[in-house]
Amino acid sequence: MDFSWDDEQRAFRATVREFLAAHLPSDWESLAHGPGTEWQSTFSKQFCGALAEAGLLVPHWPRRWGGRDADPWTSFILAEEMWEAGEPRGGQYMNVNWIGPTLMRFGSEEQQQRYIPPMAKGQTIWCQGFSEPEAGSDLASLRTRAEKDGSTYRINGQKIWTSYAGHADTCFLLARTSPGRNGISIFLLPMDTPGITVRQIPSVIGEGDIHEVFFDDVAVPATAMLGEEGKGWEIVRTALSLERVGIPRFALATRMLHRAVDRLKAAGRFGVGAIEQAARARAACESARFYSYSIVDQRRHGITVGPEASAARYATVLAERLVSEFVVEHVPEALAGADQMLLSHHQRAIVAGVASGAAEIQLNLIASDLLGLPREPR
Amino acid sequence: MDFRLTSDQESLVEAVDRLALQFQHKPTEFHGFALFGEELESELQQGEYFDIAGVPEFGPLTAAMAVERLARLPFTAEIAFSMLVRPHLAGDLPRPLAVIENGRPGRFAATAKTLLVIEGDRVSIARPAAGDVESVESLFAYPMGRLKRALDLERLSDADAEQARKWLRVALAAEVSGLLKAAIDSTVEHLTLRKQFGRPLGTFQALRHRMAECAVLAGGVRWLMLKAAGTGDDGDAALAVSHAQESATRVAYEVHQMLGAMGMTLEHPLHLWTYRLKALLSELGGRGGQARAVSRIIF
Repeated sequence: MDFSWDDEQRAFRATVREFLAAHLPSDWESLAHGPGTEWQSTFSKQFCGALAEAGLLVPHWPRRWGGRDADPWTSFILAEEMWEAGEPRGGQYMNVNWIGPTLMRFGSEEQQQRYIPPMAKGQTIWCQGFSEPEAGSDLASLRTRAEKDGSTYRINGQKIWTSYAGHADTCFLLARTSPGRNGISIFLLPMDTPGITVRQIPSVIGEGDIHEVFFDDVAVPATAMLGEEGKGWEIVRTALSLERVGIPRFALATRMLHRAVDRLKAAGRFGVGAIEQAARARAACESARFYSYSIVDQRRHGITVGPEASAARYATVLAERLVSEFVVEHVPEALAGADQMLLSHHQRAIVAGVASGAAEIQLNLIASDLLGLPREPR
Repeated sequence: MDFRLTSDQESLVEAVDRLALQFQHKPTEFHGFALFGEELESELQQGEYFDIAGVPEFGPLTAAMAVERLARLPFTAEIAFSMLVRPHLAGDLPRPLAVIENGRPGRFAATAKTLLVIEGDRVSIARPAAGDVESVESLFAYPMGRLKRALDLERLSDADAEQARKWLRVALAAEVSGLLKAAIDSTVEHLTLRKQFGRPLGTFQALRHRMAECAVLAGGVRWLMLKAAGTGDDGDAALAVSHAQESATRVAYEVHQMLGAMGMTLEHPLHLWTYRLKALLSELGGRGGQARAVSRIIF
């Protein structure tokens, strides 16, 4: 067991940090750069383009698609540094983490040629058409229909809470082609297809983040289907397992905790109560970090990742919560114009236990699969 | 980063587990608090397990793994101080060791050959003679003892005191980690077997989620403890104990709640782990003490 970084890993982290220092605008930390704003979406194409040119956008992808087959630690160090910096890749992190790799595995040659190169160049934004008004945690009950009509499918229905939809070029859409769990199919749907309406939902988490997307008799060619009809659920499960560690939220949470503490110390306000809460939050961040590292380590050694991934995700939710609560209680001015970076982090932290599936689902998985408790009756 | 065990670590952990097998069950007739494992201690002594931290292919990290696994047993003995603290103290100090913190009773203090005496910022060594210490009856499931009179103290230098505190923290976190695991495992067994309303308690989401949170906390304690033992870093040690004491408070409450009245009995072994956890909550300054250390070292 070794808890140190090797020379190559240290050098890679330094390279990523140098890149960030050279490519983030000087006023980056004072900008309201929620991941879905128009500014961020435009900036992400410029930034990811430069990342791609430097070989830092998709190093873990195969050479054929512009990567260098880098190991899971490389992509995780990259993700840590990006998230800690405030995720300048915006919604494009999804492309590199799981949409690209899923297309490589399940896509047709035509789909791969059409969609993967723009991702590898950092020039395209995707959204994830999963949740619906009646299908959140119970995603498999989704109702958006795709009915075959000759060589096309006609899509009708609604998605909700869709991140980045306002600026997305393409939607990774789950739709029902027949009843039941085996009746879900995936469509790669250009967002400029007639019949799609996107409405932004004003939210606490920032401008441009979540949307409703309506599909009104949207016609897509059958060639837009990813994989076979009815295999959507299987593909999505595999796709999300490519990204079992989740976003390294602990990296930004740790940095923001230190930032908040520095403000308090400078103001002579780092008293006993704050010290105790800060220590608790710092330990929770470190716990989340090493839980996540343990998952990366398993992937690095080709071990199938089990329910520990749910524990890693939940540890991250706990850490985000403690840091966020610390800032609200001890640095309330951060939410009132004094520190845009702390404010942006707060807005991101709110969704830690909700986005990518409710944390309670993870708790159920931990109870059954990690602890071995008997399952709930259905 | 590489979290695979070396073959030496693997074989040592397996040997510890084999040794532990015969001590896995609380004797049915034992209805007390401090279940002392005299035989366990003697086997560890004979196998030279107390010295593994000083063996290059093992080191403190492997010793911490051993402490963690042995802390899961219903029997207890002075293992953690000997395995993790004693190798980092100068001089040939006889074991068992105990800590007397600000005059309070300490685990194993009545039988210790070496005492670490903590008074505020000072850490000193004392070598108690017969009659200097006495046993104390307590709810804590360790044999507790206290000083009967003031002893001659050899004060450690500030640097040596820091070193001692750091490894006391690692030892504490390793012990807590094992206790949490044992308490949770024991509770999971109860929730699986005990039925109410026609189904196992463990199928009720109100309990499942709380147990899952306990498991996440316990796993985090284990990672932070291993990291602290592996790096020997002051900040890592302070974080590990901070998380350990924070998590122990929560888990000790939850597992007793889940066991219901069964957890109140001395027939069930749960109290052996939870009342050890409760003994550890206040050590080394408790959560407030760890927070001050984290603040000083990390912030």
